[in-house]
Amino acid sequence: MSIKHSADQAPEQKKGSLLGWLDRRYPIVSTWNEHVGEYYAPKNFNFWYFFGSLALLVLVNQFITGIWLTMSYKPSAAEAFNSIEYIMRDVEWGWLIRYMHSTGASAFFIVIYLHMLRGLLYGSYKEPRELVWLLGMFLFLVLMAEAFMGYLLPWGQMSYWGAQVIISLFGAIPVVGPDLALWVRGDFVISDATLNRFFALHVIALPLVLLILVFMHIVALHKVGSNNPDGIEIKKYKNEAGLPIDGIPFHPYYSVKDSMGAVFFMVLFAFVVFYWPEGGGYFLEPPNFEPADPLKTPAHIAPVWYFTPFYAILRAVPDKFLGVVAMGGAIAVLFAMPWLDRCKVKSIRYRGASYKILLTMFVVSFVVLGYLGTQPATPELTKLAQLFTALYFGFFFLLPFTSVLEKTKPVPERVK
Amino acid sequence: MKKLVWIFSFFLALPIAAQAAGGPSIELEPAQNNLRDQDSLKRGAILFSNYCMACHSMKYMRYNRIARDIGWSNEEIVEKMAYNMNKVVDDVKTRMLPGVAMEVLGVEPPDLSLMARLRGTDYIYTFLRGYYQDENGKWDNHALAGTSMPNVLEGIQRHASAEDYAQAARDIANFMEYAGEPAKLQRTELGWKVIAFLLVLLVLTYFLKKEYWRDIKH
Amino acid sequence: MSTKVHKSKGVDIQRRKILTGATGVVGAAGATFLAVPFVSSWQPSEKAKAAGAPVDVDISQLQPGQMLTVSWRGKPVWVVRRTPEMLEKLPILDAQLRDPASQQSEQPVYCQNETRAINPEYLVVVGICTHLGCAPLYRPAIGSPDVGADWQGGFFCPCHGSRFDLAGRVFQSVPAPTNLEIPPHHFMTEHLIRIGEDPQKEGVA
Repeated sequence: MSIKHSADQAPEQKKGSLLGWLDRRYPIVSTWNEHVGEYYAPKNFNFWYFFGSLALLVLVNQFITGIWLTMSYKPSAAEAFNSIEYIMRDVEWGWLIRYMHSTGASAFFIVIYLHMLRGLLYGSYKEPRELVWLLGMFLFLVLMAEAFMGYLLPWGQMSYWGAQVIISLFGAIPVVGPDLALWVRGDFVISDATLNRFFALHVIALPLVLLILVFMHIVALHKVGSNNPDGIEIKKYKNEAGLPIDGIPFHPYYSVKDSMGAVFFMVLFAFVVFYWPEGGGYFLEPPNFEPADPLKTPAHIAPVWYFTPFYAILRAVPDKFLGVVAMGGAIAVLFAMPWLDRCKVKSIRYRGASYKILLTMFVVSFVVLGYLGTQPATPELTKLAQLFTALYFGFFFLLPFTSVLEKTKPVPERVK
Repeated sequence: MKKLVWIFSFFLALPIAAQAAGGPSIELEPAQNNLRDQDSLKRGAILFSNYCMACHSMKYMRYNRIARDIGWSNEEIVEKMAYNMNKVVDDVKTRMLPGVAMEVLGVEPPDLSLMARLRGTDYIYTFLRGYYQDENGKWDNHALAGTSMPNVLEGIQRHASAEDYAQAARDIANFMEYAGEPAKLQRTELGWKVIAFLLVLLVLTYFLKKEYWRDIKH
Repeated sequence: MSTKVHKSKGVDIQRRKILTGATGVVGAAGATFLAVPFVSSWQPSEKAKAAGAPVDVDISQLQPGQMLTVSWRGKPVWVVRRTPEMLEKLPILDAQLRDPASQQSEQPVYCQNETRAINPEYLVVVGICTHLGCAPLYRPAIGSPDVGADWQGGFFCPCHGSRFDLAGRVFQSVPAPTNLEIPPHHFMTEHLIRIGEDPQKEGVA
């Protein structure tokens, strides 16, 4: 088999070749082999397994378009809004670069939410992949901070008042809250100082953290190996060469498959960038086409769509501090998934009805909360939000009990 | 496949949810403007200059950009929109002197560069045509009650035909949509080419994937 | 063993190569297309172009021998009103110049003449040394102390000592390679010069 052949050949590159010269000084070949050429992934990845590589693609898009935007953007309260319009109108192709970045932000969350749901479907957070999940959750947290700070930069009405509301959340923390909010803003209201520090965090600090976390997420994954839709450890059955029988090398099999997925994604992405950049008022909110005015709140403030499930939970709790706790808890509880779910079976394919019902309930409540978060808080809708908040938390509360009692199906020895 | 359907229905639900997401309380009349209609844009530019620029600015636009995009020469636009008072590279500013608006109207008339993106063309069309006089002869607007803006199109409303009056409001809304995003036509014209190219690449990657995956027996 | 990678058996290597190549070529073309917006976004923006629009200079107050400086595209442009004596000296210097007939220098065709001007009385020239971009000094007086006793009037660059005559022509054995650049310009009226625009066909040339 040629794979084994290349594995033998790898350390001894031809003396004269550039690759050989480099490889004696830098572990190019072994790194490539470990993570790409001879990284054995289960052969039964399905549709859900595209979203990891797509997240990487969107990250690259955000980095490149973001770097280009900083070339024309001015992080000051007086100039920020004007500089965005300058990009949209005066900079050659500025509109395209900006739409790629704004669409990319929403695409990032669509991809990440589906990527996380994949983990919930197939038990990718379970032993031995707890750390992969935790690193992923930290990525999600940093991504939310990154998106939130990026949203202030256009300095429109929604940017301003959205940031005002979210930063005020810190004020709900007992004792230190008000001082903390003041410290984050660096002023008594959201101001030039806030914009400047958010810019620094958005373009330097947080992307750096994201990059490091992505690296660790992948290293951790490649250490333990990928899960699969059957939730079976492929490392259990190896051939004479010590390679998993149900595994195939990432390259070329998944590199060509993910390329296809990436191009398919780009078709959808291009459609939004060119024909639907406002995303129906969700990707770019209309009130953000008005410059920030600290004296005038828009009639209805809603965060960008990817925050609205958590925002709805915040509003559902009729107490400022407890609301903040609930919102934080809604994110924090996800970190605990590997320990809340005590079922031995990984994939939903072989799990009992209770997990299927609970997970459906969770997904539905997440989507409904997301919708409610975009709506004005009328008493009826608040009642509804409270119901779905209870269901959201119900998932995590019931799971430790149902997962022990769950009647699972027999898991096959080998992947289908 | 079932999952695909599920995911796409989720995305399809977004715009429906978007439509439900608030907006002005009155029913808006559709502006039915057409960005590709350069004559309408030209009429809109002249109307905008005559009826709006006395108080409003359009500061993110320059005369030469407008001229290039809607099919005028630099000389034409300076004559038709700026009455030879501005240079072709100037921003489209209001003709009102600073501070006068506060004194006369009590508010600063907003810049109109982005009004179409903020409120939509239907709103502009409805607002421009939304003026009425109550029994005491006091003017108000259906779309924005208590507005400080006078009924600038009153002359056209009184003296022109109903179609011409509607067309005037439509032309202004059209011009303002153009000004809200001058690259919009360029965007829509480029988009399908990009998508067509990506579809070719998609077909290639599909066959490439299929070819390699013949190795994998299930 | 149903799940092996059967790479050697029944694989159409040719087809695989063609598909890989085709995808690679089309993908590379796509990457090139994608690079276009990012590269061209570094071009001067519409705003920069607007700021670089032609400027009009009123020369009615300019006295013989005087120079005035205007900014065009952020660069200094000098307008010098030359006296008849200054103009008389120009041909005499030809032998000491590197490019007396302005063969290698940048100027519009309508200024590639003895005086490098549309109207010999008025020299319009970009005030940036062709060596490394410093701004030369205007030294019209004969024998200016900082240039030398045999100085016949002209421009002197303090950075690296380049010298130009009163038509912006460079002297021999100085670092600057070519004559000072003449920008496109034309006379709108007798006393109004528009810098940054070539003469209109029907206009005053």
